[in-house]
Amino acid sequence: MDSNKKYWKGLEELQQTPAFVAKNQGEFAEPIPVEDVLEGDGLKARTPRRDFLKTLGFGLGAVTLAACERTPVHKSIPYLIKPEEITPGIPNFYASTFNGQSILVRTREGRPILLEPNPSALGVNQGTDAATQAAVLDLYDTSKLKGPQAGGSEVSWDQLDGQVTTALNNAAAAGKQIVLVAGTINSPSTLGVLAKFTEKYPTAKLIEVDAVSYSGIIKANANTFGKAVLPRYRFDHADVIVSVASDFLGTWVAGEEHTQQYMSNRNYKSLQKGKMSRHIQFEAGLSMTGTNADARIAIKPSEEGPLLIALYNEITGSSLPGAISSNEKAKTALRLAAQELKNAQGRALLVAGSNDVAVQTLVNGINVALQSYGNTIDLDNPSYQYKGNDEAFAQFLTAAAQGQVGVALFLNSNPLYSYHNPDAVRTALEKIDFKLSFSDRADETASELNAIAPNPNFLESWGDAQPFEGYYTIVQPTINPIYNTRQAEQSLLLWAGEQTDYYTFVKNNWEQNLLAGSAKSWIDVLQTGFSYNGEQPLTAYSFDLSSLAGVAAQVVTGSKALAGEVEVQLYQSTSLKDGKQGNNAYLHELPDPVSKVTWDNYVAINPKFAESLGLGEHSLVEVTVAGGQSAVLPVLLQPGQAIGTVSIAVGYGRTKVGKAGNGVGKNVYPFASVANGTVQFNTSASLKKVAGKYELAQTQTHHTIEGRNIIRETSFAKYQEDPGHNAGRFIDNHKTYDLWNKYEQPGHRWVMAIDLNACTGCGSCIVACNVENNIPVVGRDEVRRRREMHWLRIDRYYSIHQDEIEQSYETGVNKEKQFKGLSGSDYENVTVVHQPMMCQHCDHAPCETVCPVLATVHSSEGLNHMAYNRCFGTRYCANNCPYKVRRFNWFNYWNDSRFDNYLNNEFTQLVLNPDVTSRSRGVMEKCSMCIQRIQGAKLKAKIENRPMKDGDVQLACAAACSANAIIFGDANDPNSEVSKALRNERVYYVLEEINVQPGTGYMTKVRNV
Amino acid sequence: MGGIPFESIDPSCYIHINTIKVLNMRNISLVFGRLAKSVCLIIGLTFAAAGQVSAQDAKAGEALFKANCTTCHLVQGKRVGPELLGMSSRFEAEWLHKWIKNSQSLIASGDETAVRLFEENNRLVMTAFPQLSDDDISNIIAYVDAEEARIAAGPAPDAAGGTAGGAAASSDASDFMIIGLIVVIALAIAIIVVLGKVIRTLERVVENNQHLLIPAEESTETGKESGQALRKFLKNKKLVGLVVLVLVGILGAAGWNNMWNVGVHEGYMPVQPIKFSHQLHAGVNQIDCQYCHGGAYKSKNASIPSANICMNCHKGVTGSEQYGGEISPEIAKIYRALDYDPSTGEYGNNPRPIEWIRVHNLPDFAYFNHSQHVVVAGVECQTCHGPVETMEELYQYAPLTMKWCIECHQTTEVNADNAYYDQLIAAHEKLKKGEKMTAAMIGGLECGKCHY
Repeated sequence: MDSNKKYWKGLEELQQTPAFVAKNQGEFAEPIPVEDVLEGDGLKARTPRRDFLKTLGFGLGAVTLAACERTPVHKSIPYLIKPEEITPGIPNFYASTFNGQSILVRTREGRPILLEPNPSALGVNQGTDAATQAAVLDLYDTSKLKGPQAGGSEVSWDQLDGQVTTALNNAAAAGKQIVLVAGTINSPSTLGVLAKFTEKYPTAKLIEVDAVSYSGIIKANANTFGKAVLPRYRFDHADVIVSVASDFLGTWVAGEEHTQQYMSNRNYKSLQKGKMSRHIQFEAGLSMTGTNADARIAIKPSEEGPLLIALYNEITGSSLPGAISSNEKAKTALRLAAQELKNAQGRALLVAGSNDVAVQTLVNGINVALQSYGNTIDLDNPSYQYKGNDEAFAQFLTAAAQGQVGVALFLNSNPLYSYHNPDAVRTALEKIDFKLSFSDRADETASELNAIAPNPNFLESWGDAQPFEGYYTIVQPTINPIYNTRQAEQSLLLWAGEQTDYYTFVKNNWEQNLLAGSAKSWIDVLQTGFSYNGEQPLTAYSFDLSSLAGVAAQVVTGSKALAGEVEVQLYQSTSLKDGKQGNNAYLHELPDPVSKVTWDNYVAINPKFAESLGLGEHSLVEVTVAGGQSAVLPVLLQPGQAIGTVSIAVGYGRTKVGKAGNGVGKNVYPFASVANGTVQFNTSASLKKVAGKYELAQTQTHHTIEGRNIIRETSFAKYQEDPGHNAGRFIDNHKTYDLWNKYEQPGHRWVMAIDLNACTGCGSCIVACNVENNIPVVGRDEVRRRREMHWLRIDRYYSIHQDEIEQSYETGVNKEKQFKGLSGSDYENVTVVHQPMMCQHCDHAPCETVCPVLATVHSSEGLNHMAYNRCFGTRYCANNCPYKVRRFNWFNYWNDSRFDNYLNNEFTQLVLNPDVTSRSRGVMEKCSMCIQRIQGAKLKAKIENRPMKDGDVQLACAAACSANAIIFGDANDPNSEVSKALRNERVYYVLEEINVQPGTGYMTKVRNV
Repeated sequence: MGGIPFESIDPSCYIHINTIKVLNMRNISLVFGRLAKSVCLIIGLTFAAAGQVSAQDAKAGEALFKANCTTCHLVQGKRVGPELLGMSSRFEAEWLHKWIKNSQSLIASGDETAVRLFEENNRLVMTAFPQLSDDDISNIIAYVDAEEARIAAGPAPDAAGGTAGGAAASSDASDFMIIGLIVVIALAIAIIVVLGKVIRTLERVVENNQHLLIPAEESTETGKESGQALRKFLKNKKLVGLVVLVLVGILGAAGWNNMWNVGVHEGYMPVQPIKFSHQLHAGVNQIDCQYCHGGAYKSKNASIPSANICMNCHKGVTGSEQYGGEISPEIAKIYRALDYDPSTGEYGNNPRPIEWIRVHNLPDFAYFNHSQHVVVAGVECQTCHGPVETMEELYQYAPLTMKWCIECHQTTEVNADNAYYDQLIAAHEKLKKGEKMTAAMIGGLECGKCHY
């Protein structure tokens, strides 16, 4: 068996620190101080007789008074005129779009409560990520503006329109520029509106700028192929993928789309066909993509360029100067990678995360040499997700500072927060006569402008999007605008003197342009949510590789500028990304896929490197970058981080976003700098220890499983010899005895299969589960106390191979004490396994036998039921659960002023799913396998007078997973997807040896090593 | 009334024979009222039966009429569509058939009568009924004729109007009777007591006259004796203990029983913002529950109808015949809610929702789905909601406790006709051969089926 790997969740577990050991003694980190009361002065203290009687009397009186409360009268207010499509109690679904992802919006009684991937769009584009899942909460954000503002006070739309038209006319008369500064606009209708606007105001122009831009790639493509576009990458066509610092499964371009493509060559179905792609990652910080790689080599940001030069030399046999010379490990690895890439010509793909034009030009060169264009890179159906142009924005700032700009309108753009040089923005703004933002709140930029014309949430808006060539999606409103908002497009139309409303404009645009010549009607599009004309045939692209010599020189210069004592890599966190959804409590509480930190950003640093700098976990450190900007942040010891580097997430440290997001973390956008005309997110810095400590709310070692053997891993080679390799099914080798009678499950038996090979750890399922099941957000302090409520968590296990320990290691179960021996390694090379963990719905559930009030019992469908109204909070069940998946409500989180950043107001409570009880304080809860969906699907079948069929029930987590790592269904149906999956040789059950008979099967992690 | 077929009796007559036992004292007056009302109805129907012309046709016609026509038409009086009295004398049967099947095509064909009728009724389009066969239409016409004959026959109570007033009157009468009875009984008791005293005094007078002067002393003697008996009783600890025990037992049992009823609101009958009578709508007018509470067949919520559903009928039905030409004040509340002006037939911009008081309050932690019970299991609405069609004011009929749910699940057989259960029942038959399949046996008692 190859299971002599040691798995651990955090360094404290690996090193068995005293604090960690102490905290894991009990199920709950902070026990209730019963013994203190009993042993200390608690019992010795004298209670005078009179006090006793007073208390008793008051208590009795209070209870009597409380009991005298009359039964509340419930009012029931029906519609006056019921909309035809609404039946109270039955959800409606509307197709819409968020961030280019085609979604279905579930509404109940007219209010949106959940976003799901549009099933009919699958295969074209693509699941939903955590940000999309959480976006429904943004609709109910109380921090939004309730109407238009000018000069800091509320005005009417008429007043605002008056001010704006005057300013526009003045600018036009003076011949000054009118600039719309916007995040990428890929909506054909918005662009149509802008054309109208430009007709009226010829000096108007659009500047697109993204907080995290891809203009390096776009410019490189313009230089080499004459196409200024972001290509569509086809990971599904690639057998060998090499990524240099690109988090392509998470935050890079279109993570969900890439995940789906990537996993189609790595999931259980692909493995059964004997096919698995190979993925090699070179990067500084351990990214989510890095954790999924077959091989990962830690390199410094300054080594990226030289590594690519070396890779180019290896592949083409040329000898550009400046190839990597310092890092021996990387040198060996890149030689092997080059060989593999060369062998897979036409099925190989190289991607790089850098935003440097020179680096991306070099990458283009390598991809040309690998014949990727026309195979794994598609320039004929380019992506329109990001079109931001850093240079154009810089030119705008210069022009504005010179007083050439009369009016600036900001749409979906917040440069005072997200631009690396806010001072330049401020200087430019001062010289602009009239500035207006379409932001839905008075954010960092909007609050400093002349006026705000709040844009409604996308769930209240009409619109469309074109995520990539030939693919158009629709945005349709699912609720009337809640506040006095008006769509930016509508405002622009009005200011341009057009009387059409934007809905008619969108409809006409579709009917006259996008749907022209197709059989589809506007109504069809509203129903399906998108229109896809199929892809243009891919063609190969090529350019003169000899021109790369100059590029290589630029790359070398760039690298040298980066090299410093400590190199800083700025990255986007998987949940918050660029920080636009900075007031979303679901996203703040979603643990980072790798570090498992919530509610903060931090300086990720290699433990060994930290030791050499005298830094420890949660020390505070002042990071000062080459440009002079600095920030004080807590340290997180991150295994896998390259020595000599630190990684810090952007998207935090917002100051004017709202209750939940204000002051969470520090803003490190100012750390970025400009090189070759594009914004660079790598830089060098110096670190200085600052007195004090800051405890990060990190969930990684909460709910630890005490080093039991719960992860099974194998290699692709071994898998091909024996598909069941290392699955280690206990039941096959041992006789088991039952203490309980066999429980018949004659109807359905709901089970789940989880493909560890497909799970990237992105956390989209966690947010989907939160939204579907009304799972409360508890906040940073409560997470520190280990009281997060997530029913579904993704455990991230690190492991290190260390030969000498392997020799002495007894195969099979991992023992905690043996982790100690590993602490000496350099922590640069760790492998990672993500394991989604939720209630396993054991047939012999240990929680059920210890509940004194039978609040948790088994059903004839194989589910472990939890009756909240029966539970009185002994928490025995949580103590007895070997999977540590039960959660206790310490507070009424959804209605308690101490949790003010979440549901503590009637408006935000509208997001709650009315089919699921909001649990009250003192009650246990856990994954119910979305029983409300199961019951709903059963009822639907009964009403339609038919038996259930596979796929009738789709769990929130499974629906959200774009990798299809979670498969749910009826095990009593031998032809169901889940039955087929569970017959897979790779399947094992976690802690099967304790014979709790879990209902969730896991498939071994296979690495193509 | 021997000649009446049983089915033709208004169901409200026999249903409350069963319900009397479950109604408590404060509903007795209502029961009186209902009984009086049903007696009236029976009498009325007896008259009607005498006047029946072609019973078989009219009976089939009545069902069809109620299913298809009552939304817009009354036999006597205008609803949405015109009054139907004298229909068959005014129009030829053949023409009527065409008109009912598709009036618009008749109008389009240029038929003079049709065009005239259309214009007379403000160009109100009548729904087409292509699904009705010629026989069906003949039956409906026969029913209308029968009704016409019945109305012509004499003072039989008009179904829509008479009962409401009658019910109010009879309920007042019965209240008066009860108060009168109580007064009479109280008077009788007083008279008996007074008479008794008088007799005692007279006896004493007689005894005094006979010089038998014992009573004064005797009375003190008896007083002493009773005091001694009490003292004696108090000394007997066993007896005291027993009495205390019995008292504790009784009080405890009473308390325990009371506790079970905490939060049980059986009989809850709040005052509603509109005095809506289910008795009138569901009982007398026989409007199907689904017409207003359509949600019960599709959704977990039975749903209170929106005001636009009320307006389907009440646009025409104003109840003015009861209020001397004025619109009924209760119906006027619907108009006010919708800001509807009945004189112009236009809706204003100031609607105000109707705030009904919820009668059936299930706790939030219990999930109940109407469609599961109504559509899948085929449970009658009355099983849980009681004889709604007899309720002048709606009250909570069932206790809505978990015990009540479970008892039903334990005894109710699953509707095995549903294809969903095919697999399930096959599996269960293997397990338990020959037994009935109740909801409880297929997991209907499991916590998570209702609590999640």
